[in-house]
Amino acid sequence: MTAAADAPGGQVPSDGDTAPVIEARNVVKRFGGTVAVDDVSITVARGEIHGLVGENGAGKSTLMRVLAGVLAPNEGEVHVDGALLDPGDTRAALDAGVSLVHQELSLVPEMTVAENILLGSTPTWSGFIDGREQRRVAAEALKEIGVAVDLDEPIARLSVALRQFVEIARAIARKPQVLILDEPTATLTPAETEYLLDMLTRLAGRGLAIVYISHRIPEIFAICNRVTVLRDGSLVASKGIEDLTPESVVEYMVGRDLQLDRESRRQDPKIGEVVLSARGLRAPGVNDIDLDVRAGEIVGLGGLVGAGRTELVRAMLGADPRTGGETTITLQGRTRRIVSYRAAIAAGVAYIPEERRSDGLALTMTVVDNIALPNRSALSRAFVLQRRRIAEFATSLAEAVNLRPPEIHREVGQYSGGNQQKVVLAKWLGREPDVIVLDEPTRGVDVGAKVEIHRLIRELADQGAAVLVVSSDLPELLELSDTIHVVRDGRIVGVLSAGEAEETTVMALASGQREVDAA
Amino acid sequence: MTPKTASGTRTLPPAAQVEQELETRAFKLSEWMAQQGIFLFTAVLVLFAVVFIDGFASLPNLTDVFNRAAPIGIVAAGMTFVVISGNYLDLSVVAQVATAAVVLIAVTNAVGLVPAILFAIAIALVYGIVNGIAVGVFKANAVIVTLSTTFIGLGLLRWLTGGSIYFGESDGPIRTFGTTRIGPLPLAMILFIVVTVLLSLVLTRTNFGFMVRAYGSNREATRLAGVNTPLVVIGAFTMSALGAMLGGFVLAAFSNTAVSSMSDGYDFRALAAIIVGGTSVFGGRGSVMRTLLGVVFVSVLTNIMVLSGLGFGFQQMAIGLLIVLAVSVDALARKTRAA
Repeated sequence: MTAAADAPGGQVPSDGDTAPVIEARNVVKRFGGTVAVDDVSITVARGEIHGLVGENGAGKSTLMRVLAGVLAPNEGEVHVDGALLDPGDTRAALDAGVSLVHQELSLVPEMTVAENILLGSTPTWSGFIDGREQRRVAAEALKEIGVAVDLDEPIARLSVALRQFVEIARAIARKPQVLILDEPTATLTPAETEYLLDMLTRLAGRGLAIVYISHRIPEIFAICNRVTVLRDGSLVASKGIEDLTPESVVEYMVGRDLQLDRESRRQDPKIGEVVLSARGLRAPGVNDIDLDVRAGEIVGLGGLVGAGRTELVRAMLGADPRTGGETTITLQGRTRRIVSYRAAIAAGVAYIPEERRSDGLALTMTVVDNIALPNRSALSRAFVLQRRRIAEFATSLAEAVNLRPPEIHREVGQYSGGNQQKVVLAKWLGREPDVIVLDEPTRGVDVGAKVEIHRLIRELADQGAAVLVVSSDLPELLELSDTIHVVRDGRIVGVLSAGEAEETTVMALASGQREVDAA
Repeated sequence: MTPKTASGTRTLPPAAQVEQELETRAFKLSEWMAQQGIFLFTAVLVLFAVVFIDGFASLPNLTDVFNRAAPIGIVAAGMTFVVISGNYLDLSVVAQVATAAVVLIAVTNAVGLVPAILFAIAIALVYGIVNGIAVGVFKANAVIVTLSTTFIGLGLLRWLTGGSIYFGESDGPIRTFGTTRIGPLPLAMILFIVVTVLLSLVLTRTNFGFMVRAYGSNREATRLAGVNTPLVVIGAFTMSALGAMLGGFVLAAFSNTAVSSMSDGYDFRALAAIIVGGTSVFGGRGSVMRTLLGVVFVSVLTNIMVLSGLGFGFQQMAIGLLIVLAVSVDALARKTRAA
């Protein structure tokens, strides 16, 4: 524990039961130019389950990482038991009793349950591992959370849910005062989720302070005493659960001016026959999906991060293996089954993946090389690349997407995110695709480039392409789409037309606050 | 600039706002060393040799240096495809060079030159396809796969030949090739230059070479662009195999003999030339012409050591040191680029 003498002045409530065990004061965290957390203060008392909600990118995970000492805030401070915590010192936070259960599982698959629970604090005796003590502490932690699992089982052999529980046991083994969970139910089934929620209620009953991050409104209302809502990095509400309703929480989350920019929507688009069609599609994270996209139509896939949208489009195009169902593409009355990703590309599909740097571009190559990649066959004669034609082709496309500056012989990696995304679009535009699938097309892109990318997407649809867009950016989704399919847990839980879709209805469906009634 | 497909009522942001989008990257020594260093070092080394090493700057010595470099140079030029594709290296060139040399001499003695060449080509294709399928289709690690095919290939060769030495006919075409000069230039050296130029054109100008570079730069992006990536890997290993075969032919022609142990160390010496030339072991960056430069550098360095009376052990140590330095600079440059 650090700086124990630094007690807060006059802020400790008299009632011992509700004394804040952890307190964040005016925390600001910036990443480069963007403010992820903007002047947020929260307190959590012993025995309290404090729900933290907000849209994707609202700053929840960043705030949690500041609380757990993983990140040092730019401004503000964190107090545990009234003592100032060294900013960004994970070890000090652990010693002070703050345990974070990570969103991405951080277990070592080859090691046993006991070894994992004590990882980082393995008991030793003269440098040798004290196996008996290791097993004792691990068993105690598992007993504490009420989970029975063989201590000697390697993690790799456990189900996802059991791994999640081992992760919690690992946090509990450190005898924390504060337990922070970041979306722990994202990968759990309803029954497993219920078990976890019961467990947390029990732990809180024994005096543990719990911070619970979730997108799922029903879970928040099932266990939390207090709820803090973040939006765009700022705190918009922090209230007792009795003062909130599911509807009011969603409204706080979405919050911004709900008046849509209707003018930017497409005016009576010309929508034709079904082009891209999936039936009974199954893949890891994708449960029996039927989806149609028509010529000239922009279909938006809404939902929370991890709902299975990326998995859905990748399985649909054959970019990742499917376990069932089929995809067809119908053009000029001819229907083709898409049996592989390359077959999809050959049939006229363009796919703009979510991760532009790792999947979309060859960063060490030039703009012209990246644009040439999917078009190389059309631009070579007898296997020899026609360099002048390629340069002309790339120049005209760089112009069409408004690449700034249009230096096509520069390495793509030297351009900003917005320009890189334009290059990804340019490489596919050259093929004049009949089907275009875009996954988070404007993430990490500046406002100017975003407007231009939206314009390009609309133009493609106007020219008769079938467009499928995945976006976690609600205003973007509403602005672009003619039809919105909301995905949750790998299923389509609602289909909304452009007219009836509001941010609150999409959010309510995505978070499970509203059940399937719009479909 | 107005985009030609502009439509609708939205106004684009003024050019001034988005003008300086390109990152202006600070000068990084490691990056400069990795990419341009070889030019400076080769120049300095040659200058040093000309001034300080007796007998270096003579036409007979220089043509001899290049001529000796021909087999390893051709092997390295082919292997460059594997390195640029991001698959580290092809260790099996050791087995391939020896096999091609033995096949060339033994089969020519028994049947004739043309069947020998055809047989050697068939063997090269088998090597390329087997290595390529294991690495490209099954995604096995290239180092381990080619280490294993080296064992298989050399084992098979030693088993079949019993380790015997094969001698070519004393006035046969192989002998003639090994000794012919056009003017002052040995035929092997000319072949080395021609092969390098040809492979360089394949890498830079053809659809196949382009896919190899793209795959080395980003596998997933290349796959998602619709490229048949397993075929690209098989192609890269096949180029390496064909280079190793030609290298084996030249090596056999030099001495008009062939034996299974004649290509010891070819894997590493070829890699040294490729990496010193500035081709990145991480894939995506490099060229066959750089490999040529790397061959020149390593050959001149070796020649200096020989002329200075330094033995084979010292040379081996120096080349090992050179590789450690080159790959460290390469890794450092990659790190600073990512930062």
